[in-house]
Amino acid sequence: MVLVLALGDLHIPHRAPDLPAKFKSMLVPGKIQHILCTGNLCIKLENVEQSESLVKYKTDFKAEVHDYLKTICPDLHITRGEYDEETRYPETKIITIGQFKLGVCHGHQVIPWGDLDSLAMLQRQLGVDILVTGHTHQFTAYKHEGGVVINPGSATGAYSSITYDVNPSFVLMDIDGLRIVVYVYELIDGEVKVDKIDFKKTATTTQASH
Amino acid sequence: MVKKQVPEWLNSSLWSSSTSSSSPLLPPPPSDTDDHGGDDDRLPPLSSKPAPSMHSYATSPSYGSSTVVSDSRTKPPIPVSPPAIVREEPPKREVKDVRRDDDNGTSPNLSSGPSPEEISRQAQLLAELSRKVINIGELRKLAAQGIPDGAGIRSTVWKLLLGYLPSDRSLWASEMAKKRSQYRHFKEDLLMNPSEITRRLDKSSGLENDEAKGEGKGLLSRSEISDGEHPLSLRKASIWNQFFQDTEIMEQIDRDVKRTHPDMNFFSGDSPFAKSNQDALRNILIVFAKLNPGIRYVQGMNEILAPLYFMFRNDPDEDNASSAEADTFFCFVEVLSGFRDHFCQQLDNSVVGIRSTITRLSQLLKEHDEELWRHLEITTKVNPQFYAFRWITLLLTQEFNFADSLHIWDALLSDPEGPLETLLRVCCAMLILIRRRLLAGDFTANLKLLQNYPPTNISHLLYVANKLHVHPSGQSL
Repeated sequence: MVLVLALGDLHIPHRAPDLPAKFKSMLVPGKIQHILCTGNLCIKLENVEQSESLVKYKTDFKAEVHDYLKTICPDLHITRGEYDEETRYPETKIITIGQFKLGVCHGHQVIPWGDLDSLAMLQRQLGVDILVTGHTHQFTAYKHEGGVVINPGSATGAYSSITYDVNPSFVLMDIDGLRIVVYVYELIDGEVKVDKIDFKKTATTTQASH
Repeated sequence: MVKKQVPEWLNSSLWSSSTSSSSPLLPPPPSDTDDHGGDDDRLPPLSSKPAPSMHSYATSPSYGSSTVVSDSRTKPPIPVSPPAIVREEPPKREVKDVRRDDDNGTSPNLSSGPSPEEISRQAQLLAELSRKVINIGELRKLAAQGIPDGAGIRSTVWKLLLGYLPSDRSLWASEMAKKRSQYRHFKEDLLMNPSEITRRLDKSSGLENDEAKGEGKGLLSRSEISDGEHPLSLRKASIWNQFFQDTEIMEQIDRDVKRTHPDMNFFSGDSPFAKSNQDALRNILIVFAKLNPGIRYVQGMNEILAPLYFMFRNDPDEDNASSAEADTFFCFVEVLSGFRDHFCQQLDNSVVGIRSTITRLSQLLKEHDEELWRHLEITTKVNPQFYAFRWITLLLTQEFNFADSLHIWDALLSDPEGPLETLLRVCCAMLILIRRRLLAGDFTANLKLLQNYPPTNISHLLYVANKLHVHPSGQSL
């Protein structure tokens, strides 16, 4: 029973000050074993100091978002989004958790943005069962022959170049043997709504095409 | 305190090799010569028995006795004297008439050269155990003298003494089946992690749809969660929340289980056997902690659990050994029921708590050996809490090696007044036995000595403890 948190596109402090308080109250340490971050966490302290209007946000986030996420769970995997200043994040990452292989990629590299077929191609290229991408700031969960693509949306509800009307959302996956339950957490009208999706891996899915 | 004469118990036959039957506390060991001759206390039908020697049991299958159902006898290796019940209990004569095929099916696995006392004790125990309705009081008396190591006798006796098995033998099978299935249900209910629970709930409410079609394409459908149950739920009643709150206890239990008896292959090491034993211990402790939210798990419970599980798991009877976990759980609950208050921190200072028990021990010592008591508590200021805490809460499992502590537990469990009384007497006896060294030592030396109690002859220790019972104002050495 492994709990994996998937989130991304926070854009702190440029497009959003912080995670919603209701999300933060739920994300307590000790429950989650892995975090997959699609990218665009942003915040580099030097930039914040320079901008006057952002000074007040500095009090909310004294340190990198990266560090905050580390307090929730020490096992953190991040890929680079186009606004991330941290150059050490990779473009894509592959992690094996239990019986599943998960891939993480921000998604701005895949054109057209958010196109499911292209993402499916990326997934086959990486050879993973589940691909976690972001960039569109919209939650989607899409299934094709090669596997499943999950987009956790934007955890802060930051606007994107595609749409302004964004509900904050993230995804928590419960991996139990060959079965995954994906819990989708969305903040709609100030209330946290949770849905779930069941997904079972069969022996025939996903031939690694590396 | 000046001794005017050697105490009577020092003169007993325990320390002499002669087989005098003057001591009332020991059953007179049947000697080779008196065996089946014209010993008038023995039951008459036995006199017609052939006379094999004490050490060649294996070849005496049939007895000429007419009252014994010899064709159904399944334990030939029993030495000839088994039905020679202890003299003091004439009612046992009818035992022989109702003796029948004993279901525990164990033949005494006598090691080479057991002493005569052990043989007779074993024989009596087996006789008692094979009765249709076992007299628990009798069993207690016999067990108090020590239970032999072989043949799974001890595990059966302990189960009887702890009330796990009823005294009526015919009910054993049904009782055990009932309890074992009860334990299985406990495990299913309490040991499931939330993922499995939600899966079961979904299955039962028919929400489970098969994802077996790997060829499908399209957006995955979202379904509603039942009851607001999700892993990050902060609701008190949420199974996930409760699960995470329990993890701390589970970690504690896990740590302690791994540390139990690291020197014994049974408990520690990498073999699958050791791992399965550790898993069993862990399960028992977790189930206990969840069923008893008031006391949960306290460090040290694993030490009390270990001897029980060891005995039951090593039962020669296959059926019993495989269900050792369930049996141990109930017996553990029973043992702990007398000592629960010692583990509850809030009760420390109360009348039933550990402090007051330690005070009782202190009083007991004062009664029996005032000089030693004065020296320990007043002169050298060795607070009994420093040593007696571990003695009492862990039922002496940490003070002696494993085999010895099993013997001590025989005495503890057989006390009709409850193990606590005997425990205090044994602790008192432990102090009295090393009195010379204690009287000569100062605080540091005494504390060191008491916290690493020197190896001692357990039978002697139990004997002294027993004497304290009989003579409340006994003389000191």
